[in-house]
Amino acid sequence: MKVLLEAKSVSKHFGGLKAVDKVDMVINEGDIFGIIGPNGAGKTTFFNLCSGVFPVTGGEIFFNEENITNLRPDIIAKKGMARTFQNIKLFNYMSVLENIKIGFHIHSKTRMWDSILHTSVYKRDEKLAEEKGLEIIERVGLKDYKDTLAGNLAYGMQRRVEIARALALDPKILLLDEPAAGMNPNETMALMEFIKKLNQEGYTIAVIEHDMKFVMNTCNRILVLNFGKKICEGDSECVKANKEVNEAYFGKGIMVQGGTM
Amino acid sequence: MEYLLNQLVNGISQGAIYALMAIGYSVVVGVTGLITFTHGEVIMIGAFASFYIFQFFGNNLILGIAASFIASWLIGMFIYYVCYDRFFEAPSHISLICTIGASMLIKNLAQIYFGPNQKPMLNIIDNKVFRIGVLQISLIQIVILVTVIVLAGILAFFINNTRWGIMLRTVSQDKKAAYLMGVNVRRTAMIGNCIGCGLAGIAGMLISIYYQTLQATMGGPLGMKAFSSSVLGGLTDTRFSALGGLAIGLIENLGITISTASFRDIFAFGFLIAVLIIRPEGFASKKGARP
Amino acid sequence: MNEIIIRLKRFYENHKIITILIGSILLLLMPVIFPKSYIMGIICRILLYMILAGGLNVINGYSSQFCIGYAGFFCIGAYTEAILAVKLKINFWLLLPVAGIFTAVAGLLLCLPTLKLKGKYLALVTLGFSEIVRLVALNWSSLTGGPMGLKGIPVPRIFGIQFKSSLSYYYIFLLLVVVFLFVTRRVINSRIGRAWMSIREDEQAARSLGVDTYKYKALNFMYGAFWAGIAGAAYAPYTRYIDSTFFTLDEGFNILSMVIIGGMGTLVGPMAGSVVVNFLTELLRPISEYRMVAYAILIIAMMWLRPQGLFGASNSILAGRKINKKIRKAKKEVAA
Repeated sequence: MKVLLEAKSVSKHFGGLKAVDKVDMVINEGDIFGIIGPNGAGKTTFFNLCSGVFPVTGGEIFFNEENITNLRPDIIAKKGMARTFQNIKLFNYMSVLENIKIGFHIHSKTRMWDSILHTSVYKRDEKLAEEKGLEIIERVGLKDYKDTLAGNLAYGMQRRVEIARALALDPKILLLDEPAAGMNPNETMALMEFIKKLNQEGYTIAVIEHDMKFVMNTCNRILVLNFGKKICEGDSECVKANKEVNEAYFGKGIMVQGGTM
Repeated sequence: MEYLLNQLVNGISQGAIYALMAIGYSVVVGVTGLITFTHGEVIMIGAFASFYIFQFFGNNLILGIAASFIASWLIGMFIYYVCYDRFFEAPSHISLICTIGASMLIKNLAQIYFGPNQKPMLNIIDNKVFRIGVLQISLIQIVILVTVIVLAGILAFFINNTRWGIMLRTVSQDKKAAYLMGVNVRRTAMIGNCIGCGLAGIAGMLISIYYQTLQATMGGPLGMKAFSSSVLGGLTDTRFSALGGLAIGLIENLGITISTASFRDIFAFGFLIAVLIIRPEGFASKKGARP
Repeated sequence: MNEIIIRLKRFYENHKIITILIGSILLLLMPVIFPKSYIMGIICRILLYMILAGGLNVINGYSSQFCIGYAGFFCIGAYTEAILAVKLKINFWLLLPVAGIFTAVAGLLLCLPTLKLKGKYLALVTLGFSEIVRLVALNWSSLTGGPMGLKGIPVPRIFGIQFKSSLSYYYIFLLLVVVFLFVTRRVINSRIGRAWMSIREDEQAARSLGVDTYKYKALNFMYGAFWAGIAGAAYAPYTRYIDSTFFTLDEGFNILSMVIIGGMGTLVGPMAGSVVVNFLTELLRPISEYRMVAYAILIIAMMWLRPQGLFGASNSILAGRKINKKIRKAKKEVAA
């Protein structure tokens, strides 16, 4: 089991607020790794630390055995980490296909001269972007919408576009921040299947989610955060039974038997 | 040595005027949350307002201050409605371009109606010079320093100790939250903008009195100095903006021995770029803020 | 407005060859159609400003960095050509690219310290830069002739033809505009242009997709500066005399207003902007003091009614929140 993404005692303080407090985490290659916790637990901040959006206040992050702590987000993306955002950051005024083409940026080499003179490098890159872009669009089932402005799509479809764009990077790991937010049960089921399928194709996936059914049924390992601290890390059974997790969600005084949530 | 000390006095006096302009600018940018290019023009309007008051009513300083404040306040309202009111939710470059348009409009209309030439503004305050040891300080400089300090004091009191001041501060920190707390964000933003403009107008009067001249095109370089000064405070902090103004005034006067007027302007711009390179958010720290 | 643009586009698509053919013939025969040098002078101005507005548009419109001090680059290009041509007698055709590259380097030096800053700071820095350049040009008399400027700038020659009048110089400007459009179109429709647009639309998202935003912002700035340099280098031998008064902040606002009015984020926008603004200049000549007033009002009106400009990119964040309203309506229809 190769360790793909590892966080060692990672902290992020905003002034006096400890948003993330000495969190350890190990994601193995091939995992579908869930990160759960009440609102404000620090999950998105943790993602932001991993993907380079914020600098850490303490601790280290290793990706593929390489120390990526505090590297720039675009460098981390080049190393194979792709992510989506909690509040969908699509290029709303560009078409779906154009959005996805940007994902191929790191796989293309066109320089100024190439673009002006339409060299073979340029032609190859454009062909790649066009063909692979269409391929990915088919994979997520949005073929009919390839020329629609991304901002005009329904919410669930926008999420799919964001995931498709992340896939264009051909990443080793996908960080999905609340991908099921705003989806109805059918859409959530479809998303679960899609993520399982991606995992079978070889992508390691880390998901922040609130939907417990989703997390318990798709993730093989789970990290629970509360108030920035790690409460527990393990497989779904272990987490369900953990006293602290139950307290975090349900408060002290009620112990949920068997974890039917 | 004596020369240096006197240049120091000159630098502080000039710096005080720049500080007032910068304070005004930081209030405007702080409260509205939008950068403006109109500050220079507001300074100019204040200067001209006081000019005409002095022409018709004699050298009454208090009247001059009132006139320049009111005239700039009114221009501030115009600028607010044209450039800010509808653009709070829009991408920020739109209001920025609007302020460029507004500044072009005001400047060129001023050139048409006031004439493009320099106008003399002579002897508003008697040119008495006081000696304190080797130091020479003129009455004009004393008036400037007193005016600026008093105004800064009034502003500080207003912002920290009155209800309006609290509203201004809330709007400058988080408009949505202020709105949810029942603050009339639009009106407060307008008032903040107008206060900043009013201060700028008074600064315009002071600088015209100091240099005994005013011109419809004076706004440009002065506006630049206003925001060069306020970058020291991250564009929104009044204390550091004032400090920036003083610094620029000092640099200009201490450097005057080795250069001409053009190079004074270059210093100001160089200062701006240097501050932005070293510490772009300014030196005022915002504790606990999310990056 | 959008319908007019769509109809124009469709007309062009359907009659491409004919429009290009007739258009090219008309353009090539301009000096024959308008043999008066006054009119050709205006046309030359329009072409010159097409390059300037176009270059500024690449910076402001495609990557949404905010440059207000474009006159500074124009100044550097012009003075580079003038100084090297007058003092070292270097050939115009060689100086064109040299001035462009030199100005591009200046652009790089300018934007390096500001890459990590928010856009508003870049705007201020470019303003300061533009003034510093002008002041240096005004004061460094030994190099730039100071307030007296540089005169006697040699006229370009090729195969024995001298480009002295606006009727002949027209072809130089025309060539430069064509080259500019050709090159810029190719750059925009490539990975580089897409990177620029992604930075404009959402810089943070672009970064998490692997776009090195610093590198591309710098590249974008250099590209814009390059063309200002070319325009300057073409301008100096045309007027045969330059001094620092040609490159004031007002000149920068002049170019900016063409971009704003004509349109940002498209290739056509700045071209239209140059035509509109220069046309207005001529129209308002009898009341020339009101010219800047007219531009100011136009700029404000444009920001109120159509922030992306007449022919600007409606499909971009430049269009402001008006698009958001339309999208929200459309979303409700799709979801319903």
